[in-house]
Amino acid sequence: MGNRFGLKDILLYLILGGILVSIWLAMVQMDRQWLLIRQTQGQLEEQTRDLADIRRQLQRGLVVADGAGASAAASQWGGFARALQAEQMPDYATGDWYVDYFPDDLQKLTPVLSSDAYATVVQQQVLDTLITRDPETLEWLPLVAQSWEILDGGLTVRFKLRRGVTFSDGEPLTAADVAFTFRFVMDERVAGPRWRAYLSRIKSVEADGDEVVFRYEEPYFGSFELAGTLPILAEHFYGPFLESDEAAEQFNRSTGLLLGSGPYKLTDPRGWAPGQGIELVRNERYWGPVRPAFDRIIYKIIQNDAALLTEFKNGDIDFYRARPLDYRNLTADPSVTERAQSYEYYDARGGYIYIAWNEQLDGKPTRFADRRVREALTYLSDRQRMCDEIMLGYARPANGPFNPMGRQINAELPTRPFDLDRARALLKEAGFEDRDGDGVIEDADGVPFRFTFTYPSGSDDYKRVVLLLKDLYVQAGIILDPEPTDWPLVLKALDDKTFDAISLGWTSSFEIDLYQYFHSSQMEPGGDNFISYSNPELDRLIEQARATMDEETRLALWHRAHEILWHDQPYTFLFWRSRLDFIDRRIANVQRVRAGLNWPGLWRMPGEWYVPKDRQKYDR
Amino acid sequence: MVNYVIRRLLLMVPTLLGITVLVFSVMAMAPGGIGANLLTRGGDMRPEERQAMMEYLNRRYGLDQPMTTQYLRWLNNVLPIGYETQADGSRGAFGVKVPDLGMSFVKNRPVIDLVAEALPVTLLLNALTVPLVFAGSILMGVYTARYRGQALDVGIGTANLALWSVPTIWMGVLLIGFFASEQYLKWFPTTGLESLRADTWTFLPLHTEAGWQRGFLLDVLWHMVLPIACLTYSSFAFLTKLTRSAVLENLLADYARTARAKGASDQVVLWRHVFRNSLLPLITVAASILPGFLVGSVIVETIFSIDGMGRLVVEAVQMRDREVVLSITLISGLLTLVSYLLVDICYALADPRVSYE
Repeated sequence: MGNRFGLKDILLYLILGGILVSIWLAMVQMDRQWLLIRQTQGQLEEQTRDLADIRRQLQRGLVVADGAGASAAASQWGGFARALQAEQMPDYATGDWYVDYFPDDLQKLTPVLSSDAYATVVQQQVLDTLITRDPETLEWLPLVAQSWEILDGGLTVRFKLRRGVTFSDGEPLTAADVAFTFRFVMDERVAGPRWRAYLSRIKSVEADGDEVVFRYEEPYFGSFELAGTLPILAEHFYGPFLESDEAAEQFNRSTGLLLGSGPYKLTDPRGWAPGQGIELVRNERYWGPVRPAFDRIIYKIIQNDAALLTEFKNGDIDFYRARPLDYRNLTADPSVTERAQSYEYYDARGGYIYIAWNEQLDGKPTRFADRRVREALTYLSDRQRMCDEIMLGYARPANGPFNPMGRQINAELPTRPFDLDRARALLKEAGFEDRDGDGVIEDADGVPFRFTFTYPSGSDDYKRVVLLLKDLYVQAGIILDPEPTDWPLVLKALDDKTFDAISLGWTSSFEIDLYQYFHSSQMEPGGDNFISYSNPELDRLIEQARATMDEETRLALWHRAHEILWHDQPYTFLFWRSRLDFIDRRIANVQRVRAGLNWPGLWRMPGEWYVPKDRQKYDR
Repeated sequence: MVNYVIRRLLLMVPTLLGITVLVFSVMAMAPGGIGANLLTRGGDMRPEERQAMMEYLNRRYGLDQPMTTQYLRWLNNVLPIGYETQADGSRGAFGVKVPDLGMSFVKNRPVIDLVAEALPVTLLLNALTVPLVFAGSILMGVYTARYRGQALDVGIGTANLALWSVPTIWMGVLLIGFFASEQYLKWFPTTGLESLRADTWTFLPLHTEAGWQRGFLLDVLWHMVLPIACLTYSSFAFLTKLTRSAVLENLLADYARTARAKGASDQVVLWRHVFRNSLLPLITVAASILPGFLVGSVIVETIFSIDGMGRLVVEAVQMRDREVVLSITLISGLLTLVSYLLVDICYALADPRVSYE
C-alpha cells in the first residue's frame, strides 16, 4: 500500500517543521533589531530636541542682552505673541498628539501639484510663508520676513528675511529659496497650472542679500498678499527636479515630496504615499521662539459618516465637523458634551450660496435682464426662513459677496426681507401680471413666467432650498422647475451659458477680487461672469479698486461696489454657512477669534492649542 | 484539446477589443466631458483656476483630439507590440515594448501605481474571506444534507437566508455601532487596517514591563475581523445550498448505499465517497471567482475606510477617470476570459464524459 507513513514522510515533515521554526526565529530576530533601532532613534530625537532648546534659549537671550530688553524681544517675535502667551498658561505642556481626519482620500501632498483642500491643510503646517495674518485683528504679521516695504506705488514689494530660519533638515532658509520657489512654479515642465495661474501676475522675484524683491507689471491690490503668502520651497530639495525633463517628470509623478521650515514635518519628506493616512511630527529644528506643542498631528482618512461619529465618540479622533442636524442632536447628547467642547462660528474663509440669474440666452436678453425682476425674486427668496428651517439657525442671510467677518463688506446695507407685496409690485412694473386668471403671471405677449432652476444634484441642502424657493415663487405666480444636475453638466451649462437660473457656492476670503465674477470683460469664455451681467460703473469701480494700494481708499471703493451689487442683484445672495465643530476636551486653549477658531495650523504658527500634562494620553 | 485551447485564446482578442471599444465610447459619450470633474475636487470652485486647468489637461492628454485618435493612441500604449511613445508625445520606433497603462487624470499618477497600491489590500482581504466562506459553506452544506429535514437543516437554512437578506451597508454600520463603540462593546477598532503607529511596533507580540503589546501581525488581524465578517456573512447562503443539493443527490445514490452495506462507517461514506463526488459544482464556482478576487467590495471598503480595488474602480467611474477605468476593465476582462477557459479545461479533466474534440 502506498499510503504507509514511511521514512520519506518523516523527513518531509522534519524539513517543513524546520523551515517554519526558522521563519519564526527570523521574525523574532528582526523584532529584536527593530527594538534596537527604535531605541537609537529615540535617543537621537532627544538630542535634537535638546540642541533646538539650547538654540532657542540663545536666540531669546541674545535679543534681551542687546539692551533693548523685553520690548525688543516682543517686537522681534511680534507674530508669535499669541503663541508665547499660550506658553505662559499655568497648565501649558508640550507633548501628546492631535488626531484629526479627512473625509476623503488624499492623492498628493507635494506642493504645486496637489489640488485638494486637504493637502493645503497639511502643507500649512509644514511650509512657511513670508507673512501671516493675525487671526484676531486680521493685520499682517511678520513670519519668515522680518519687515517689508511696498515701493513704486505697489509695483515692487521688498521683504527683509529673518536670520536663523532653517528648514526641517537643518539647511538655512534664504532669500534665494524664495526666488527659487517662483522660478520653480513658473517652469512649464512642472505640472502646476493652478499655482501658475495665480503667480503669473508677478513679473520677477529676485534675491538681494537677505532681502527678496517682488516686481509686478501693474499695480494690483492683492500683489502684497500674493508675494507674502507664497509657501517657501527649499531650493536644495526641489531644485534638482528642474535639472532635466526626466527629473521634472519624476516630480510630476511624485505623491509626497514635502519639506519646509514650518512647525511640523513629515518623518520622511519623500516617502509619503496615498492610502496610509498622514502623520506629521514636530519639527525639532523649528526656528520660532516657541516649541510646537504637539508631538504629532495625525490625519486619518474616514469616509463613512457612522464610522466617523463612532471614532469621535470613542475618543479616537479629537475633532468632528458636524452638519446642522447632527450638531443640534449631538449638543443635546450627554455622551458627546461630556467629551467635547462645541463651537459654532463663522470662518473668514467660509463660502456663500447664491442664485445666479442668466441675463442673456442665445444672444438675446432674458427676463432676468430686467433689474426689477431680479429684485422681485430676491424679495421672494425668504433667506431668513432658509437659515432658520433648512440650516436650523446655523447660517446667516447674505446680501453680497463679501464676508461679514472681513472689512470689505459695506455693513450699512440691509438685507432685503421676504416681501410678497413689493415683489408683486416690482413684477407688475416690469410688465408681468396674471392676464388670463390662471394664477401664473405673464408678460405682455402672454408668455407665462416659468423657468428651469439648475442646481448640483447630490446635496440635500440645495434640494431643500430649491423646494422652498419653488413654494415661495408660486405665491407670486412664478413657476420654478427644479433641475438637479451632475457636476460635469453644471460646469458645461456655465461654459455654454445655457441655463435660466443656477444655484452654486463660491468660497470667500478676507479680501476678494470681484473682477472675475462681475466685470463685463469676464463674459468671455474662461471668465466667471457666466450670467452676462454688465454695469459700466461697477466695471470702473472694480478696475479702480484693484489698482489702489492704499487699504482705506480701496475699502471705500469696495463698499461702493457692494452697494451697486446690492442694488442690481445680479445674484440673489442666499446665506453664509457657519462651521459646527466639536473638539475633544483634552485640547486646551481653544478660542474663538474674529477669523474663526485659533487653530494654529491655519495661521502657520505653532502653539496656542495644547494638551495639559494630566490629560495627555498618547505615550511616546 | 490543444487546438481547442488555441482557438479559445485567439477568440479572446476580439472580445477584449470589443470590451475596450465599448467602455471607451461610453466614457467618451458621457455628457460634460472628461476634464470637468477634475476642476472641483475637494471644495467649491475658485475662479482663476478653472481655465488654466482645462487648457492644461487638453494639452497634456490630448483631450481635444478626435475620439478615434485618442482610442488608437491608448490601444497602442497598452499593447506589448507597437510604436514607442516619446516623452513629448510623438511616435517612436515600432517594436516590442513595455505595455503602458497610462496616467490617471484625476490623481495624476500612473495607473499601474494605483493598482499596485490597492491590489494587495484587496488580495489580503479576499485571501482570508474566500477560504472562510468555502470552509463554512462546505461544512454547513454537508451537515444540512446529512441531517436533512431536521432542526439543524431548518435552522441553518433559515439563518443563512436571513443573513443573505441583510444589506451589507446596514450590517457594516450595525457592526461598528455595536462592536466598535464605547457605548456598547468596544471589542474591535472602527476603521482602517492597522492602529496608529502600528508600523513602529514589533511584528510579533511583545511582552514588556508595561504589559503586552499586540505587535503588528495581531493588530492587522484584529482590524480585519469586522470587515471580513461583513464580507462573508451573506455568501454562506448560496454556497451552502449548492453543497447541500450536490451532497444530497449523491447521498441517495446507489453507490452510497453499497458503501454503507459493505460496512463503511457513516463518516467515511459521507466524507470519502459522497463528498468527493459532490465537489464538481463547487469547483465550477471556485474557478469562476478568480476575477472576483481582484474586485473589492466598495461598500465594505468605504464603511471601514480601507483603500482597496472596489473604491478605486467606483471613484474612477464617478470621476470619469478614463485610463483607470479602461485599465481595470482590461485586466478584469482578461482574467474573466482566462478563468472561463480554465473552468472549461478543468471540466474535461475532472469529468471524462466532457470532450472538446
